[in-house]
Amino acid sequence: MAVKATESSVSRVASVFGKFMAYLVMGTFALMTVYPIFWLILNSLKPTPEYRVNRIGLPRTWTLVNYIGAWKIGEFNKLIGNSFFYTIGASIGIILVATLAGFAFAKIKSKATGPIYGSFVIGILLSIQSLMVPIFLEVSQLDRIISDLMRLIGIIGQQNVNVFYNSRLGVLLIYIGAGLPIAVYLCTEYIRGIPDSLIEAARLDGAGYFEIFRRVILPMAVPIAMTVTILNITKIWNEFALINILVSKTELKSMPLGIYRFSGTMASDYGKQFAALVIGMAPMLIFYIIFRKQITKGVFAGAVKG
Amino acid sequence: MSQRPWKVVEERRAYWSMVCPAVILYVFVFAFPIIISIVISLSNYAGGKMFGGEAWWITGFQQYIKLARDPYFWLALKNNVYIVLISVFGQLPLGLIFAYLIYRRIVRFGEFWQGILYMPAIISVIVIGIMWNIIFSPYGLIAELVNRSYAAAFSRQVERIFSEAGGFQITDEVVKRLIAAGGPTATHIFADPVAELKALLSHYSPDQFAVLKQDLVNLLARKWSPAFLAKRDVAMLPILFVVLWMWTGMYLILFLANMQRIDSGIVEAARIDGASEGQIIWRIMLPMLSGVVVNAAILCIAGSLNSFELVFAMTGGGPARVTQLLSIYMYDRAFMGAPDYPLANAIALAIVIFSLILIMLTKVVERRYGGRE
Repeated sequence: MAVKATESSVSRVASVFGKFMAYLVMGTFALMTVYPIFWLILNSLKPTPEYRVNRIGLPRTWTLVNYIGAWKIGEFNKLIGNSFFYTIGASIGIILVATLAGFAFAKIKSKATGPIYGSFVIGILLSIQSLMVPIFLEVSQLDRIISDLMRLIGIIGQQNVNVFYNSRLGVLLIYIGAGLPIAVYLCTEYIRGIPDSLIEAARLDGAGYFEIFRRVILPMAVPIAMTVTILNITKIWNEFALINILVSKTELKSMPLGIYRFSGTMASDYGKQFAALVIGMAPMLIFYIIFRKQITKGVFAGAVKG
Repeated sequence: MSQRPWKVVEERRAYWSMVCPAVILYVFVFAFPIIISIVISLSNYAGGKMFGGEAWWITGFQQYIKLARDPYFWLALKNNVYIVLISVFGQLPLGLIFAYLIYRRIVRFGEFWQGILYMPAIISVIVIGIMWNIIFSPYGLIAELVNRSYAAAFSRQVERIFSEAGGFQITDEVVKRLIAAGGPTATHIFADPVAELKALLSHYSPDQFAVLKQDLVNLLARKWSPAFLAKRDVAMLPILFVVLWMWTGMYLILFLANMQRIDSGIVEAARIDGASEGQIIWRIMLPMLSGVVVNAAILCIAGSLNSFELVFAMTGGGPARVTQLLSIYMYDRAFMGAPDYPLANAIALAIVIFSLILIMLTKVVERRYGGRE
C-alpha cells in the first residue's frame, strides 16, 4: 500500500511538472506572438524622437501623427480601394468559376475529367511565386501583340494598350487563376457529396444543367463557398509577389505594395514605419477576430489532402 | 442508357461550357507560363518584343550549365533547403505537440491558444518581414531588452561595489572593480582608465549617488548589438525563426482538428494501461495520423517554397546575398538591373523541379513508413 501511495504521488508530481512545462512552452510561444504586435502598436503611437529614448515603455505623449504621415507617404488612400476591388472581385470570380467547374467534374460524366481535374490538383502544390517571371513575360508580351494587332487594324495610333499588364483586369485574372486549383478541388469534392437523385429529379422536370447549377447546386454549396471565400480573402488581401510584378502605376497598386515602401530606406522614421505596419495588419486582424471560426475551418479544409 | 443523342450533346455542351472558364484561366496562369519558362530558358531571348522584335532562337542548355557552376545558385538552394528543413522538422513537430497538449487538455483554454498561435499566419507577410527586421535590428526590441538586462545587472554591481567599500568612497580599488564589472568600453574611451575615471567620479557629491549610478551605467555597461546577424553563417537564423513562428499555428489547427476525430476511448484505454503521454503520441497518435502528417509535410514543403515575400521584405536577400533564396535570385535576375530572362526562367524551372522532387520524396517515405490511417 505504502509503495503504491508513493508511486502515485511521484506521478502526481511528474504530471504537475509536465503541466507546468506545457504551459510554459505554450505561453512562451504565445507571448512571442502577441508581444511583438503589441510593441508595434504601442510604438506607432509615440513620436519618433521619443522612440529613440523610450523603446519599450508606454508612450509618454500619445499621438496619431505617425498615422497621418504614414497614410500620406504610403498613398494608402489610392491603394485601399484597389485592395478591396481585387479582394472582392477575385474572391467572387474564384468561387463562381470553381463551383461551375466543380459541378461539371463531380456530376457530369466525361473522359476529360481525369486529366483536367488531375492537373488542377497538381496545381495546388505548384509554387505560383516560382512562375513570377514567365507570368510577367506572358502579360507584357500579350499586351504588345494586342497593341500591334490593333495598330494594324488602325484602331489605335502609336500608343500601347494595357489589357493584362498594368491593368486591373490582368491582376484580377491572375488572382482568379492562382486561386483556382485549391478552390476547384474543394468544390468538386463537396459537390460530389450532393445526392445524384436531386439532380436526376431536376433533369426529369426538364431543367438544363445551368438551371440545375443555379437552383440546386449553388444553394447547397454555400458552406464550401463560404469556406473557400474566407480563405481567399485573407490570401488576396495580403498578396504581394504577383501584384508587385503585374503593376507599376501607383493607382493600380494594393496595400502590401504601399507598406513595402516603409522597409529599408524609410528606416530612420520609426514612428511612421510602425504606423504603416499597423495599417497593414489591422484589416486582417479585425477580419480574423470576426471570422476566426470560419478561417480555422478553412485552414483545415484546405489542407485535407495534398 | 436510353438517352437520346441530343441529350448527350446537351450534356457534353454543358460540361465544356462549365469547365472552360476554369481551364482557360488555369492555362493562363499555370500551364502557359511553364511552357514560356521552358522555351525562354533554352533560348537567348534578351527582352523586348518576343514576336516581331529582335530575333532570338533556341540555344540549348547553356543556362542550366551556367547555373550548375554558379556559387550563388547553390547558396540560394542551400537557404531554400534550410527553410524546408525548419518547416518540416520544426513546424510539424511543434504543431503536433501543441495540438496534443490541447487535445489531451494538458493545457486548458485550447481555443484561446489556437486563436493566438494562428494569428501570425493571417497578417501580411510583408508586414511580418519588416516588423521582425526592426525587432532584430540594433534599434529594435531584442537589442533593447538585452541591453536593459545588462544595464540592470551592471547597476546592481555598482551598488554592491560601493556598499562593500563601505559607502560613497572613490578609491583606486573601487574604480578598478567598476571597470572590471563593465564592458570593454572603459579601455576604449580612457587612455588611463583608473586615473581618469577616478577624476571623473570625484566630481560627484555623495548625495548624487543615483545620478552617478545612472551615468556609470550609460558609460560602462556592456552593450549588445545584433550586428552578428549580418555574418554569413547566422544571417539565415532570424528568417528561419520567423518561418517557424509564422506557420506553427497552422499545423496546430490541422493536427488538432484531425486528432479530435480519433475515438478518445483508445487514448483513455492506453492511459489506463499505463502508457505515458510520450508513448501515446509516438505509438498511437502518429500511426493514426500518418496520412495527415504526410499531407501536412507536402503542404509544408510546397509552402516553404513560397517564402519569397518574407525574405524580400525582411532582408531582400542581403547582406551580400547570404540570405538569398532561389525565388529572390530569380527575381533579381529578371527585374533588377539588366534583365537576364533565360537565366531567370531556368531558375523558375529549377524551383518547380525542386518542389516536385521533394514532394515525390515525401510520397516515397509515406509508402514505406505510413499507410496506416
